[in-house]
Amino acid sequence: MSSGSHEKCSHCELQLSDRIVVHEEDEDLRFCCVGCRAVYAALHEAGLDQFYDHRQSWSAGEARPVDEDILESDGPELLDAPDFLADQSRRLGDGTCSVDLVLQGAHCAGCVWLVERMPHHVEGVSEARLELSRGRLNLRWDPEQIQLSQVDRWLRRFGFEIHPVSQRAGSRGAAAERAMLVRVGICWAVAANVMLLTIAIYAGLDRATDPGLYATVLWSTFALSAVSLVVGGTVFFRRAWGSLKARRPSMDVPISLGILVGWSHSAWATISGHGEVWFDSIVILTAALLTARYLQIRGNRLAADAADRLLSLLPKVARKLVYDEAGNESVQTVRADKLVPGDRVLVRAGDVVPADGRIITGDSDLSRAVLTGESRPESVGPGAVVEAGTTNLSSPLTILVSAVGAQTRMGQLMEWLDTGTRRRAPVVQIADRLGGAFIIFVLVAAVATAVAWSFVDPSRAVANVVALLVIACPCALGMATPLALTVGIGQAARRGVHVKHDDVIEALEKVTDIVFDKTGTLTEGRPAVVDAMGDLNLAARACALEEQSNHPFAHALLRWAEELEDHRPVDRTKVEEVEEIGGAGIRGMVDGQSVAIGRLDWFDAVDESMGNWAQERAERGLTPLGVAVDGQVRAVIAVGDKLRPETRKIIRDLGHKGIRVHLLSGDHQRVVRAVGESLNIERSRTLGAVAPEDKLAYIESLRSGGNGGKKERIVAMVGDGVNDAAALQAAHIGIAVHGGAEASLAAADVFLVRAGVAPVAELLDGSHRIMGVVRRNLTGSGAYNLFGITLAALGFITPLLAAILMPVSSLAVVASSLLQNSFKR
Amino acid sequence: MNVLYMLLPLALLLATAAVLTFVWAVRRGQFDDLETPAIRMLFDDEE
Repeated sequence: MSSGSHEKCSHCELQLSDRIVVHEEDEDLRFCCVGCRAVYAALHEAGLDQFYDHRQSWSAGEARPVDEDILESDGPELLDAPDFLADQSRRLGDGTCSVDLVLQGAHCAGCVWLVERMPHHVEGVSEARLELSRGRLNLRWDPEQIQLSQVDRWLRRFGFEIHPVSQRAGSRGAAAERAMLVRVGICWAVAANVMLLTIAIYAGLDRATDPGLYATVLWSTFALSAVSLVVGGTVFFRRAWGSLKARRPSMDVPISLGILVGWSHSAWATISGHGEVWFDSIVILTAALLTARYLQIRGNRLAADAADRLLSLLPKVARKLVYDEAGNESVQTVRADKLVPGDRVLVRAGDVVPADGRIITGDSDLSRAVLTGESRPESVGPGAVVEAGTTNLSSPLTILVSAVGAQTRMGQLMEWLDTGTRRRAPVVQIADRLGGAFIIFVLVAAVATAVAWSFVDPSRAVANVVALLVIACPCALGMATPLALTVGIGQAARRGVHVKHDDVIEALEKVTDIVFDKTGTLTEGRPAVVDAMGDLNLAARACALEEQSNHPFAHALLRWAEELEDHRPVDRTKVEEVEEIGGAGIRGMVDGQSVAIGRLDWFDAVDESMGNWAQERAERGLTPLGVAVDGQVRAVIAVGDKLRPETRKIIRDLGHKGIRVHLLSGDHQRVVRAVGESLNIERSRTLGAVAPEDKLAYIESLRSGGNGGKKERIVAMVGDGVNDAAALQAAHIGIAVHGGAEASLAAADVFLVRAGVAPVAELLDGSHRIMGVVRRNLTGSGAYNLFGITLAALGFITPLLAAILMPVSSLAVVASSLLQNSFKR
Repeated sequence: MNVLYMLLPLALLLATAAVLTFVWAVRRGQFDDLETPAIRMLFDDEE
């Protein structure tokens, strides 16, 4: 079986390890896990083999083999509940219903194809539309013929999961986005037509040559610009007025002022027949700024989607224990949000805890990774407090519910994140800042030119002012920043680096301090065997027991055993009587010998040298496990979180760039110190056993320069756990790493899809390059405009020449932005 | 130059039509998802 190392899984193309799963009929088809085999079989059965032509190779995230229980369906009952359907679905005229759902697990074209084939394979479904980028599925079905839970079952066979869309991120956001897009469209249409009409005036049409046509053109631009003012300008006016009322004038004020003053002057000039008009500059400025705002709204919607995925972490159904009059216990499946404090719920091994509560009966291991980012499972027993969102790993628990839904720790956290995101979201665009100041500058320059030329040569005054206004068109200047940032961020996204707000790029360039959270960021974030002593071959054979376990250490031990030299795998059939003891270990028969693997204190007698060895490993934060055969401990294995291979180099490079690296972790001080030392991080900057509140305080003191520095410090925080969420928010830039809790995603400004620290380094380099492009664009178009305005003011440029030159600067900015290569492949 | 008096409103009328089409497209949700349609185009219809 060991020959499989170069083969790939027939379904997912993952490198096959020794644990091959072979197709029931065709020996040539080999899979990495039962999940892949089941999906392959389901696809084949349904005649959907074409999936393999459409799918692209896996790029997002790490695929991992799964265990058998993934195929079990869990609680689709909610999807058929009448109150859910009444809430979320719409009944259409022809008797069918339509609903929007979150679809998890879709990655590529193949998935789109597969999901959208549903109407041909599932009776009663008339339409399925998948929005790949957001993971939204729109479904139309006939409730007379099929229930949503059946649809769920069909999708589950292929590894997709559907969840209800949360109420919060409903259609409100999409409606606002569409409304803004309509405004943007109208404003650009107006801008283009005003420009065309104005070109006639630049080309020489004036009151003297053809008064009738001149008036027509003038009044047309007047009417069109009024449309732009009402449709686009009001967006800024309303916000400016709001900020004035709150006594905190925003950048909307100068923009509104510029637009209003410019337009009123032009309008008066049109009506009175004296003076200059600059409708064209105003409408283009409005359109450009409105576009920037639209892009911002779209970005916010993506953030809301991230929060939605977070909600799906909480289970939708719970197994409630109910008692009849005779006191007999039975299990009833109910909606998780219908639980009330005082209810008793059953949480099976592998289930996610549906509500906060206290354990009544049962001993088990609990993974709190989603809340704390801590990868090590904790042993819990009766009386222990458990939180919604944590995962029960080894044996069933009965829990007395104390808080449900929004009252749970998870719920409160999400609410906090939600308000936090709002507080931070609309950051003023550089374009806004420049745009407002620029239009005032141009107006002043125009007036100065008019005054000066009326003394020097009144006959040329008008032409020069017009030339100045044309060449000063803020198109290029307005586009310089947003365009460069948008293109750069797009390139980053293709490399798996998702930037939520574009102002982050600006801050990233000036980063002085990077705070790493150790667990899962610098390390692999899942347990692995670090060290072992004793009879290793015997230990490796004993590890065959772990095939039957779901404990995270089981995977670590199995991987270790497989990679061990001259390891002969044990036949599955020779592993018998496996019994898992919660919080202690696992025991059973392997090849006729009684074997046990577990915590050292579980065994009666441990050899002294092994005990010392284990003691030393335990001090470094590893978990020592004993392997006993026939009642005698024959080997000890230390399990822990390994450093990622690339971490060392990246940390060194950051040091060379003059960026201070900090290590802040909730892990034990000794563990953090050990990692810090191996990475050459200064002792004063490695802190262990840090509570979430302390992380926040540390970052805040860093920001205020309290750590001995005089210069203003820009702090970036790289983290993955929900416990990092507050710190991610407090840092100038929060970077969430793939593989961590999704809660940190909502708090972060940047989300890295690829695992490891390498994308962090890439992000920093890329930001430098993007800002380089921004600066190039700004200086280029700024110099162009200044130069043009000066020449025009001095009378060297005719209006016609100005009209021809004007688009050149815009084109230059577009080219410069598109041709950037900030994130290389 | 008199033809311009006719062309100008005509041009504006065309622009209005374009804007209305755009508004219609936005309302239909055609700009909500810019990624999936590009993929969907590749699928062959077998029916």
